[in-house]
Amino acid sequence: MEGYKGFWVFIEQLQGRISDVGLELLAKARELADATNTYVGALLLGDFAEDKAKELFGYGADKVFLFSHPHLQIYHSLAYTKLICQAVKAEKPEALFMGATPLGADLAPRVAARLETGLSAHCVDLRLGEDGVLEQIVPGFGGAMMAVIVCPEKRPQMATVMPGVFPKLEPQERQGEVVPMEVALEEADLKPKVVEFKAKEQKTVALEGASVVICGGYGMGSKENWQLLEEMAKLLGGAVGATRPAVDEGWAPEEVMIGQSGKIVHPKLYIGAGISGVMHHVVGVQDSEIIVVINKDPNAPFFEVCDFGVVGDATQVLPALIEKLKERLQVD
Amino acid sequence: MPEAVVCVKPIPDPKHWDRLSLDPKTGVLRREGIPTVINPLDKHALEIALQLKDNFGWDATVVSMAPPETTQTLREALAMGADRAFLASDRQLAGADTLATAYTLAGLIKKKAPHFQLVLCGNMSLDGSTSQVAPQIAHYLGVPHITHVSKVQTQDGSTFQVTMDLKLAQLVLEGQGPMVLAVTKEVNLPRLVNIMGILAAEKKPLEVLSASDLDLDPSKVGQEGSPTRVRNLFMPEIKRRREILKGEPEEVAEELVNRLHQVGML
Ligand SMILES: Cc1cc2nc3c(=O)[nH]c(=O)nc-3n(C[C@H](O)[C@H](O)[C@H](O)COP(=O)(O)OP(=O)(O)OC[C@H]3O[C@@H](n4cnc5c(N)ncnc54)[C@H](O)[C@@H]3O)c2cc1C
Ligand SMILES: Nc1ncnc2c1ncn2[C@@H]1O[C@H](COP(=O)(O)O)[C@@H](O)[C@H]1O
Repeated sequence: MEGYKGFWVFIEQLQGRISDVGLELLAKARELADATNTYVGALLLGDFAEDKAKELFGYGADKVFLFSHPHLQIYHSLAYTKLICQAVKAEKPEALFMGATPLGADLAPRVAARLETGLSAHCVDLRLGEDGVLEQIVPGFGGAMMAVIVCPEKRPQMATVMPGVFPKLEPQERQGEVVPMEVALEEADLKPKVVEFKAKEQKTVALEGASVVICGGYGMGSKENWQLLEEMAKLLGGAVGATRPAVDEGWAPEEVMIGQSGKIVHPKLYIGAGISGVMHHVVGVQDSEIIVVINKDPNAPFFEVCDFGVVGDATQVLPALIEKLKERLQVD
Repeated sequence: MPEAVVCVKPIPDPKHWDRLSLDPKTGVLRREGIPTVINPLDKHALEIALQLKDNFGWDATVVSMAPPETTQTLREALAMGADRAFLASDRQLAGADTLATAYTLAGLIKKKAPHFQLVLCGNMSLDGSTSQVAPQIAHYLGVPHITHVSKVQTQDGSTFQVTMDLKLAQLVLEGQGPMVLAVTKEVNLPRLVNIMGILAAEKKPLEVLSASDLDLDPSKVGQEGSPTRVRNLFMPEIKRRREILKGEPEEVAEELVNRLHQVGML
């Protein structure tokens, strides 16, 4: 559409630490902007000096719109919405992306509603259609189908994108422009007021970056059997993931759930044991280089989308596999 | 009486999702014969309203936008204890994306419960799965919203301490109505329906409204009012080896290790 230029990314931060998902989206925005001869804009809201904004050039941003104010250090939906909408109305970007994180899912719909534009949720890919319209790929109808969502008549085109879908760029020496933005807020913009901020203790979850992911499903049967996955992961230097039912059983923490409503992973090697292979889960692993599936039911749908499938009881196959791997890797 | 409005979405029962199919020609979802249930998180939203009713004498009003045959599903919300229900149901409203859905529900709330203190939603619908409707309703009502709500506390039924779960952190916010909250399953345990409730529900008001009853801008509802479109649907492309190994655990383990070695994984 005439007059709309630039791919924008909302840079999520928590206590001044920039989250990966914003950097991942900068990489995708860079690709889309290069393909269409336009620029990448980053929206950075927080209590930041210009130096922090400049870091974003290396990840692909040409312009960083910096909203710096002590009130912005902690997320506030109305304040953030107001400032972002003011910038969008003034600069008219073609598209605006945010992470499909709790914060992004709280903010993006409100921004989209105020701008009366379309928003698609939990995208797993973004690409340009032949007509130049942004195609937003959303796992639909339980994930068995992918839906291509477009927003042909309104701008900006907005999407929230799953963390881990796009690799971020290795920081490069690049130049850009920091655009300091005015932050004028009223008391009403800061309601309801934040009375407490509790950072949660971070268990180190190396899942997103792991080159080997060992994932267990409901078929693992018990917390004791789950140890087999941990052992396997340790042996291969990988991380353990889980399906939703396994998380529901308490065998693994929610943070390691893989799939449509959890994490997206793209390891070199993914091994799934006791997992039926419903698309809700499979969408989260389909970018793995090699997929190995262990399931005792030869008709499990996961076998349709695997590289190597082992028909057998995971509680027997895994110990045997661990032994063979130890032999091969010469460890004990 | 202060009033809580609960947004209840009837969805095809996830237990029967294997019976959902896509019409390959039209791309329309076929859901014939699949029973409808209340979106699970919406019961948690309703439970908050019912506790405010029990403890502070609030009114609990249910609103929904869905096809007319879902009235039975809304009766279940009445059986849990809601006082009344309003269902916006009209061909004109069909095909709505989240923006048009939120605009319509906000219109219904303005018409039927203009003095609400809280609008309570589920954080996500299982079928739509967007988590977008609640903040967008709040926009059209001109009130603040909080999503990912894992805890709601109040001493006096007027000031609320609300915990928003950001996964890596928690925010506790304090505020008074009117506002919109979208809740997760951590927030409470919804009550079960009993016989008394079912009998009482039969006598409670359940009004079905058409688009023209709602003073809405026709260009903002249904498919026409939806900025997003489904361009097409495709099956995810699968190019995998699909080599299936069978045999005794030791044999298959050996074979698998060999294969992984061959493809450079070990
Ligand atoms: C909106 C929505 C979003 C969802 N998002 C996600 C998501 O992000 N991630 C996710 O994982 N799920 C998600 N789900 C749930 C998803 O639909 C499936 O229910 C889930 O992925 C199935 O997990 P599973 O394969 O572990 O369990 P099951 O489907 O119960 O499968 C267990 C499998 O284990 C096999 N098995 C049993 N015993 C053994 C044994 N001893 N050895 C070997 N194999 C054995 C069985 O043959 C079976 O195939 C979502 C659902 C909905 C509705
Ligand atoms: N058609 C609808 N009727 C009533 N409430 C709805 C409707 N669609 C969404 N909601 C509410 O919005 C919440 C989030 O839905 P969604 O944005 O689809 O994930 C639901 O849990 C409901 O509380």
